[in-house]
Amino acid sequence: MDISTQSEVVLREAGYETWPWTGASPPVICFESATVVGFVHVFGSANELLDTWETAQQRVLARHAPALRAAGAKAWNVYSVFLTSELAPTLQHRVEKLEENFVLTRKIARTAIQTAEDVTNVLMTFGPIKAQPLLGNADMAERLRARAKDIPVEVLNAFLGDLRPEDVAAILGSPT
Amino acid sequence: MRLDYVEVCGFRGFREKVRVEFGAGFTVITGRNGVGKSTLCDAVEFAILGEIAKYAVESAAKETVRDYIWWRGDGSPTSHYVTASFVDRDGKTFSITRSRDGGADKTSAEIEAQLCQGAVPDEPLRQLCKTSVIRDEWIASLSLDLSETQRFDLVRAALGSVEGADLAAKAKAVVTLAEAACGRAEASYQQARSVLEGGLVQLSEANDAANRSGDISAAMAALDRIVPPTDDELAQRIDAARRSLPDRRLRLEGLNLAAFEGHEVAAQQRAFNSPDEVARRERAKAELETARLNFDHLRAETDAALRAYELEAMANDIAASLSILVEHGDKLGLHNDHCPLCAATRTNTEFSLGIQSARARIDQLAGGVNLARENLASARQAASQAERQVTEAQAIWDAIEEQLRTLHAREEAHIEIFERYGLNPVNAANPDALELEALNEREQLVELERALNALEASRAIDALTSVDARVSILRRQADAAADELARAQSAVASAKSLEKSVRRSAGEIVDERLARISPLLNEIYQRLRPHANWRSIDYSIRGDVRRFLSLRVGDELNPQFVFSSGQRRAAGLAFLLSVHLARPWSRWETLVLDDPVQHIDDFRALQLVEVLSSFRQVGRQIVVAVEDEALADLLCRRMLSTPEQGGRRYTIDFNERGVADVIARLDIAPMAPGILRGFDDAKATA
Repeated sequence: MDISTQSEVVLREAGYETWPWTGASPPVICFESATVVGFVHVFGSANELLDTWETAQQRVLARHAPALRAAGAKAWNVYSVFLTSELAPTLQHRVEKLEENFVLTRKIARTAIQTAEDVTNVLMTFGPIKAQPLLGNADMAERLRARAKDIPVEVLNAFLGDLRPEDVAAILGSPT
Repeated sequence: MRLDYVEVCGFRGFREKVRVEFGAGFTVITGRNGVGKSTLCDAVEFAILGEIAKYAVESAAKETVRDYIWWRGDGSPTSHYVTASFVDRDGKTFSITRSRDGGADKTSAEIEAQLCQGAVPDEPLRQLCKTSVIRDEWIASLSLDLSETQRFDLVRAALGSVEGADLAAKAKAVVTLAEAACGRAEASYQQARSVLEGGLVQLSEANDAANRSGDISAAMAALDRIVPPTDDELAQRIDAARRSLPDRRLRLEGLNLAAFEGHEVAAQQRAFNSPDEVARRERAKAELETARLNFDHLRAETDAALRAYELEAMANDIAASLSILVEHGDKLGLHNDHCPLCAATRTNTEFSLGIQSARARIDQLAGGVNLARENLASARQAASQAERQVTEAQAIWDAIEEQLRTLHAREEAHIEIFERYGLNPVNAANPDALELEALNEREQLVELERALNALEASRAIDALTSVDARVSILRRQADAAADELARAQSAVASAKSLEKSVRRSAGEIVDERLARISPLLNEIYQRLRPHANWRSIDYSIRGDVRRFLSLRVGDELNPQFVFSSGQRRAAGLAFLLSVHLARPWSRWETLVLDDPVQHIDDFRALQLVEVLSSFRQVGRQIVVAVEDEALADLLCRRMLSTPEQGGRRYTIDFNERGVADVIARLDIAPMAPGILRGFDDAKATA
């Protein structure tokens, strides 16, 4: 799984324009929506991420400085995303600690990005609420018929019909 | 349906008319503490519900929150009302006005019809407000700190009622009716069984009686022999004989007693009249007479000795006086030849002889008293011993006489037995005859009882047939009652099964709906990231009658107990936001947040802003009141504002007249699109 490519897939599905900026290697993925601009930086290792994120951020911001200056309020909503596929459990907290650094950009920094789902989760912030609970009306009668197989059909019909409880009880107690 | 505007006048802290027209996309309300940000949220709720539900304390010092709905500060408002207006996607508006004097201009049903749809929960408007207007107070109390049961109820209410939920009540009614019928059937069955058991007892007794019938002819012979035949029916004879049994038993008892006592008396008589005993009595009588004679004799001797002694004692006294006289006369001597004592003429010799003779006589007189005393003492001792012998002999004789009296008393008591039991005393002196008579009486009694039992048993055989027939009828009735009970029990079991199926089906539907909102809860939780280590949250539902919804993070940990206060609030907010989004029955698409960032650090506040931004991306209207200006700036920048769904920012503060008012309104313009892309494209082209 290529993090850069998958990032573009996820961001585009969330309504963002994405494109690579090849001024860095690997390329930085730029993205922009009506309210947000950002850059996805991919690193070979967690150590590399920790050592070079600031340089990488500075380079891409400097490159896009004129545009950001012209962006007005949008320039407040600049995100830098620093990702690496390395598991690096010992460095995970240090990497994620970068997210509490609000200098210049809002940052998202994660290790262990190995699957498309990981990419989707890490970029979840940028998209709309995905989960749309489908809470359609349930057919209670049909479900009850499926569950109450031990109840005679005529009793079920009476119960689900308009008969009063007294009538249903009488049917239940009548000789078969 | 979105919030269009809210207008208040004389409501809570707003004395003058204030109108806030909400942005279709979002509205951020900012201002210092106490200027009325929350009151605007209250106004929306009050317009819908007619009350403000956030106050947990119902009353204090006889006042309630209702006493503080309307302005109570200085000055008089021109009016007292609240208006909340809503607009749907077609631009159609719906407003609710509640005034202090006129109440609401819309009924709850009208409001519900506009703001709700489909299968609504109980108290839909209250649920609507509870899940739409998320306040700081509720983020803690209505989210993570809820009990698991309350949490389940909250979520179930948010999901709306399950279609056919009334079936549960109907099924319960069926169960109740079936149980009542079963109770009646049970009572009938028990009664039938009780009657049958009584019949079976009678049948068993009749059988036993019939089995005891034996030889009827022998019984009749015995009856005739013992009880003389009469002209009465057999049954009457049997009854008469049965009635005579107590008298016969009493007579037998008397005979037995008389025979026993007769033997006892005879034995005592034999003992009393035995030769040895007769000899002993004669001997005792002779000894007593001898002792008495001896005693009489000795008592006479003692009397004689006493008299002798008294004489001797008198003589002794005379001798003593005479001795004094003689000694005096001797001392005087003859006086002129005359005795000084008797004046007789005496010679000296005669005088001396006379003195000597007197002295001898005196000695003689004095010497007899001692002997008489000794004789008297001996006589008395002998008489005393004889008296003791009389006493002893008398005691022996008295005992013999007592023995005789006892014998007579027993003989009399023996005779009384005959009188008491009405027995012929002819054999009173013949205990053997009495014993024989008692044996005969016992034999007759036994024979009579046996005969009576046999004859009664023969009558029981006749009764057996009718009892048997009756028991058969009772058994059929009991069987019918048992069948009825079995049907009733089966009906109860079926009704319970039906009710269980209804409950299970409803539970399944709720569980499935909960399962469907689980990803939403998890997504919002992941977006808010309350905790660095636990990135996801799960829920589980337990219970059948009482349902529990528990939240778990990590390895089955309860976030309620492992999260900090701020983390709990963030997790709770995720829960409430997911509930808000999951309401299919709500037509109102506005999320109102009143100061949601208390106790939440900047990092999580930023994540909340991003979550609200994601809500905006799906078109939900957001109204959020915050105190922090920087946070308000961030919200306005980060949430999507479009030409169709613009953003708006209000600043509330006290105006120059010192009353709360809107002092600034700012429309948030949409941001320029494609800035970065255009730049890069231009660069690339260059």
